[in-house]
Amino acid sequence: MMINLSNYALGHIVLALEMSHLANFFAVLILLSMGTLLFLVKNYALPKSFYALSALLSTSLFLIVYAADYLLFFIGWEVMSITTYFLLSFSVSQKTLHKYIIFAMSSALALFIAILMIYSTQQSFLYSDARESFELMGEFQGVFFLVLILFAIFVKLGVIGFHYWLVDAYEEAHDIFTAFLSAVLSKMGVYALIILVVKVTQPMLALAIIGVMTSIIATFKAIQEDSVKRVLAYSSIAQLGYIVTVLGVADGMSGALYHSLIHTAVKLLLFINIAGVIYMTGRDKFSQLGGLIYKMPQSFVLLLIGIIVLAGMPPLGGFSSKFLIYSALLDTKYLLLLSGVMFSSASAFLYIYKLIYGVYLGHPSHKKLESAKEVSLSFLLPQYLLAFILITLGTFPALIVPYINEILLESSLTTLSFTHAGELISAFAQFNGLIVMSAFGTIFVLVVIFFVSTRSKAKEAKNRFDIAYCGEEPDESTHLHYGYSMGKELARVGILRAIIKNSSSHFYEYLGKQTLSFAELFRKIYSGKLSVNFNIAILFLLLLLWGSLR
Amino acid sequence: MILLELLLMLLVAYGVGFLYYGLYRNITARFQRRFGPPLWQSFFDSIKFFLKEESTSHGWMFYLGPIIMMSGAITTLFFIPFFKETTNFSGLSSYGNLFVVLYLLVLGPLGNALGVGTGGNPFGAMGVTRGLSRLFALELPFYIAVIAIMSLSGSADISEIAAHQSTMYALAYPLLFIGALFSFIGMMGQSPFDVVGAPVEVYSGPASEFSGKFLALLMSQSAIYTFAKLVLMVNLFLGGAQGFLELLLKTFVLFLFVISFGSLYGRFKTPQSIDFLLKVPTTIAVIGLILATWS
Amino acid sequence: MEEGFLLEQKTLEGDLNSETSHQSSVDFLMNWFRKRSIFVLAYGTGCGAIEMPPTFTSRYDAERLGIRGAATPRQADVIIVSGYCSYKTLRRIIRTYEQMSNPKYVLALGSCTVNGGMYWDSYNTIKKLEDYLPVDMYVNGCMPRPESILEGFIELQKEIGAGKASSWQKYEENHEFYRKNQEAVLGEKVEPSYEADWYLYEGGL
Repeated sequence: MMINLSNYALGHIVLALEMSHLANFFAVLILLSMGTLLFLVKNYALPKSFYALSALLSTSLFLIVYAADYLLFFIGWEVMSITTYFLLSFSVSQKTLHKYIIFAMSSALALFIAILMIYSTQQSFLYSDARESFELMGEFQGVFFLVLILFAIFVKLGVIGFHYWLVDAYEEAHDIFTAFLSAVLSKMGVYALIILVVKVTQPMLALAIIGVMTSIIATFKAIQEDSVKRVLAYSSIAQLGYIVTVLGVADGMSGALYHSLIHTAVKLLLFINIAGVIYMTGRDKFSQLGGLIYKMPQSFVLLLIGIIVLAGMPPLGGFSSKFLIYSALLDTKYLLLLSGVMFSSASAFLYIYKLIYGVYLGHPSHKKLESAKEVSLSFLLPQYLLAFILITLGTFPALIVPYINEILLESSLTTLSFTHAGELISAFAQFNGLIVMSAFGTIFVLVVIFFVSTRSKAKEAKNRFDIAYCGEEPDESTHLHYGYSMGKELARVGILRAIIKNSSSHFYEYLGKQTLSFAELFRKIYSGKLSVNFNIAILFLLLLLWGSLR
Repeated sequence: MILLELLLMLLVAYGVGFLYYGLYRNITARFQRRFGPPLWQSFFDSIKFFLKEESTSHGWMFYLGPIIMMSGAITTLFFIPFFKETTNFSGLSSYGNLFVVLYLLVLGPLGNALGVGTGGNPFGAMGVTRGLSRLFALELPFYIAVIAIMSLSGSADISEIAAHQSTMYALAYPLLFIGALFSFIGMMGQSPFDVVGAPVEVYSGPASEFSGKFLALLMSQSAIYTFAKLVLMVNLFLGGAQGFLELLLKTFVLFLFVISFGSLYGRFKTPQSIDFLLKVPTTIAVIGLILATWS
Repeated sequence: MEEGFLLEQKTLEGDLNSETSHQSSVDFLMNWFRKRSIFVLAYGTGCGAIEMPPTFTSRYDAERLGIRGAATPRQADVIIVSGYCSYKTLRRIIRTYEQMSNPKYVLALGSCTVNGGMYWDSYNTIKKLEDYLPVDMYVNGCMPRPESILEGFIELQKEIGAGKASSWQKYEENHEFYRKNQEAVLGEKVEPSYEADWYLYEGGL
């Protein structure tokens, strides 16, 4: 469906809105996030402007998704960036806000130039003309166009090197808004990548390589963090790295879309869960949490489901999307890239375990945590909904394949074959989620029955200090919450130290310093004294006069 | 019919796994100039622990740790076919593929890690930390080799990979095999990559809080798990097997190599083993992958 | 004719199997598994601990009888109190003993555990271990050599096989007696401060 706005056109610019399957897919992601996050709102005393700005933000998101020309897309993008700034400003420090706005504005500028480049070739903003326009561009122009576009998108996605603003913003933003940032705003980057790059150009190996680097580096960065939200922020970057990787290869769209859905759902689940923990305890560091499992059992189980999905373990939904990504890479014979993705995925187990251990397992690191209680239903309900989606997608991995196929058809890509909802068939292999799930479930139940019916009975330990501790009895003062800092020792491994210790912040600080000294130079001329200013103005006028006379 | 087959697979893995454990203890004893325990000593140990009058638990998640570990081991076993070119003893492998198995292999240990974390023993958490820090380095050469052979066979189906080998991959692509073998030694918990459960340093690591029937369940799953991993390795690199005799022969040769290697070497510290695994076996496997798929 | 090492092994195992008793077949089987597999806590409580490494390593190889070391009390069946036992160590021994799962056995080495031995008038060692923990088997000597320790183990295995080694039941039944003695030397607060109701807890899965 195409709504043509040409009647209201300025000159011969045609603006259009279109309801494609791809747009609908991303609109569903937005709706899913908004729907689940709305449950949480009543727990917090939010200023009224927060709601107004959120409404504006979601409008801009729908504009981005449903636009069929670059101009409307850009308007939506710009409104999104600015409202994000104001939404961040409720809780975020000045420094982080500055970082964000500088990155967001330079990204918007780059995007705008790129869009003008597309326009100037064929005098059209429409998506349908974009591919042709890109082919008409010269080689140099084409590369320049891609660099600008990718810069704009990478900033939004937080690809390593461009994530300088992202992690701080995620950490400091309001708990609800962090979830929204990770679940939806990053997906707009994915959508832009599909619309502006994947649909316009050939598959790019460079994109895939950048994606793999991003996922590996972000994973190791995540392992080092102590703040729960920072770990999730880096994890978000790593997961988007997979999507970027798979979008860089041919036929990777199905994996990218599937993973977008899974990642949206799982990050919502995790951030809502952590928001509940922070709401209940007021603490957001692994070193200050721990031992909440029997205080918040429902939250624990929900987080468990979340981390199983995040790890990409069968039999839950995370495996289905990982499987499509792996198959796409294997099918296109990017074997080293696939090794990189699987390596990053295996490294992720470390921070994933830390996520659940640091918060729920081990010992409470403070007396206050002993009095924590289960969070209210408004936190639990959306998590149950998301967990249900993720379990369903694990059991019936091909449930959304017909829908993905329509999107692929629309973009004239090869579709996935589909037999029944339980069996996911990729180009390379297939697996039956229903069988995996029921096999594991049945065996689990049988083992439980066997275990319970054995002769010996297990007795509960008297208290949490009744542990084998070399003959000693630990007490409140003993430091028992070991393990929240797991992964720190990786910095001692020579190869990994380079990843862990280096940071893009050095580069940006250097850049900032250079800009300041350049400004200092300018300040020498434009010193602020009235007489000097007047002279400069006269000189400038003379220059203009001379220019116009020539 | 399929249920009977699955039960038989389980019994074979349980029996052969414990037999191999007994052989392992005997062979290690001979390496150390000892007589060694009876052949079925490990089996006796596990039964003894089942017969303990009591065991200590730390809440329901503590129960789930060993149970998930056991379920993970059995599920893994069922998704690995014993023989190539036949549907006998192929279990559920036609419904899964190598990716499923690769992930199921770590499902159990991760589930157990949750149980360990619930137990609240800091030494357990230390062991898990060591294990997870080492895990990704351990998996990398194996993943590279497995990816290469999946690409070479044009399939992710384990029985097809086994059937595709006219000469076994271990001979055709020795570099890939060597790379994967280093990982395999670590997966079997052998020296020099056995820092996870070091008895004196970290109080036997993840197992430190498990008593009685919890420990018994962990011992039983370890027997099943060992056999599953051996069969997987035989299918992927040693050309699969056509009968029980061939399967036992190939798995035993592999097992013998692994435990001999383990008896001869000392223990790496965690950073050392990560460093080593990321440098030597990974390089070997990458070179193997490039040589194997260069065309 | 067998000779040397194989003969010794045969003799030891034959000795182990010589005990026949009148038990039900279930009990017989259960005790058989228990006696064939003994995990000893690697905890050197006194000077006699020096005799344990040779017992377990290549020279005497206790593993051929199914006896091997365990790292933590949760995994162990037997705790060896190897010689004199100071109050400081006693506290840890009690803690460790109570963390072991039933059935559990105590093997006491040397004269010091019987009557204090050369520490008979020491101000900070206990004299009779039996007052504080139930002992299944004493191995005499100062110190007993590995052969004697193995002998002690085999005797213990025989008792387990016959279902006679039941010190852990004795400890539960006479818990107040042991607790009183322990408190007498360790002060009011014996750590861990177990309550008997917890200790005799029944239930669980």
